[in-house]
Amino acid sequence: MALPLKVLSRGLASAAKGDHGGAGANTWRLLTFVLALPSVALCSFNCWMHAGHRERPEFIPYHHLRIRTKPFSWGDGNHTLFHNPHVNPLPTGYETP
Amino acid sequence: MTHQTHAYHMVNPSPWPLTGAFSALLLTSGLVMWFHYNSFTILYIGLLTNMLTMYQWWRDIVREGTYQGHHTPIVQKGLRYGMILFIVSEIFFFAGFFWAFYHSSLVPTHDLGGCWPPTGITPLNPLEVPLLNTSVLLASGVSITWAHHSLMEGKRNSMNQALLITIILGVYFTALQTSEYLETSFSISDGIYGSTFFMATGFHGLHVIIGTSFLTVCLLRQFKFHFTSKHHFGFEAAAWYWHFVDVVWLFLYVSIYWWGS
Repeated sequence: MALPLKVLSRGLASAAKGDHGGAGANTWRLLTFVLALPSVALCSFNCWMHAGHRERPEFIPYHHLRIRTKPFSWGDGNHTLFHNPHVNPLPTGYETP
Repeated sequence: MTHQTHAYHMVNPSPWPLTGAFSALLLTSGLVMWFHYNSFTILYIGLLTNMLTMYQWWRDIVREGTYQGHHTPIVQKGLRYGMILFIVSEIFFFAGFFWAFYHSSLVPTHDLGGCWPPTGITPLNPLEVPLLNTSVLLASGVSITWAHHSLMEGKRNSMNQALLITIILGVYFTALQTSEYLETSFSISDGIYGSTFFMATGFHGLHVIIGTSFLTVCLLRQFKFHFTSKHHFGFEAAAWYWHFVDVVWLFLYVSIYWWGS
């Protein structure tokens, strides 16, 4: 479970906020533009940097995955709602080569 | 006597509780028809009647409170109790899904490989989009607090801007989560991992959409000058709900995305 969180010092930074006592609208506006939104920007940047084509895992027809006790109520009954042919195999294997 | 001598609100007779109950019947039986008998009709009528009931019932409440002045302090107190109790019931709703998750993941069964995540499941990296989602919701908690203080201090432009930022962050979260759903290598049918993951995060996502809609209604009401600096319970209720949605996400992130990976 050891995650290199010190690489991203943001983390769950809510505990680090200081001034709460008697804080007015101006304080919260400051926190929004100086702390909150830049953190969102930083995390967004981090995601786009790590995005990109992942190698997809080899298909092994495990019995505990891709369960079909009953067909789905849409389409051909064999595709999940957010099915993505590139990364989601059917019980019989990937659709796309 | 032709006038009331207390500050409570004696609501005029309304058809919406009945249409609401009826729509609940149509929704539930409609789901059964869709799942088991391949028919969408009853569900469709249920969705329609449900949307119409919500729109008209809440429209009437706005009329009674903002336009007719029925929401005295004691009435507002009752509304506060109501919203708090509703959120408590939602907490119990999510508790069920967290129970299912911990039950399955603390003692993984033999057919999963005796491990968590189960064999063959590649979980999402908690430091990528899930972390971004966390920062988005936390940021929206800050911006909604800015909006509230601006409202209380009579700063109209500030309030509009802050509430708009909050809504945009809510939409950003929904967009990110949708793209995550489309990109994960596992699906809802991938055993108990898929079931617990998508039921918990799916219902959470639905609540984000509900919360964002509630906030949008507040923004439209704010544009029409419905709120005063002292009396704006509709906004407070939306803010409480939004914070609740944020807290549920934090639990989801720590339990499912981080510990469960």
